[in-house]
Amino acid sequence: MELAQERDSGTNVISPAGRVDGSNSADFHEALAAAIADDDSRVILDMGGIDYISSAGLRVLLLVAQRLGGSSTPFAVCSLAASVDEVFRISGFNQIITVYGTLDEAKAQLA
Amino acid sequence: MRRSLNINPVPGAAAAEALPRIVAFVEEMAELDDWAPDLVLRSNLILEELILNTLTHGRTSGLSDIEITLESGVNSVTITVVDDGAAFDPLNDKPSPDTELPLQERSIGGLGLHLVRTMAEDLGYKHADGKNHLTLVARAGA
Repeated sequence: MELAQERDSGTNVISPAGRVDGSNSADFHEALAAAIADDDSRVILDMGGIDYISSAGLRVLLLVAQRLGGSSTPFAVCSLAASVDEVFRISGFNQIITVYGTLDEAKAQLA
Repeated sequence: MRRSLNINPVPGAAAAEALPRIVAFVEEMAELDDWAPDLVLRSNLILEELILNTLTHGRTSGLSDIEITLESGVNSVTITVVDDGAAFDPLNDKPSPDTELPLQERSIGGLGLHLVRTMAEDLGYKHADGKNHLTLVARAGA
């Protein structure tokens, strides 16, 4: 699990890569939490580098989305692989987390 | 091809140790029988959710063996999991979560088994000879 990050005038783009499963979801949570600052004006999670996520990883995304929702910070994910998109749909996560097709769309539209 | 993997859980360390072995087992089968990439991902997901559910929900008492058997079919794999832990029907004993709830009301409980029940086909469970027997089919494609 690697995690790249780029901040551009308040927009925090976080790009994890690898698989998120029950063996590393705690590390994933810790890394994501550390990458998000209270004064971020928007947070975009670019999932393009993730090809596998299980319910352990979904739990992390839910906690992050709830934290950001609690502080009314716009949050979205983008670039879901087909396998991750399927998991999102079955879980109903596409109804509680904003999903964009590409990072450019997310940057242009998330508000 | 049909192959089995036995996991003999040591309470506590069980989940962390089991997962890499399951992934390696699935990938080995996938390579031998040339599975489609999405079949590999689905099989891994189904097995992770099932096995971690067994190992992390207090059902390890009396559990000494989990046997996972994979049998390749045409664009599919039949997965059988037999364990000697407490009786538990993963198809019916835990309700699916409400996937329509708003963000702040959502919780993650039950989501793993919900993924399994939705993604897999031909699911069957029985408790026999003091063991849980679960069979299901993962299929490639939509």
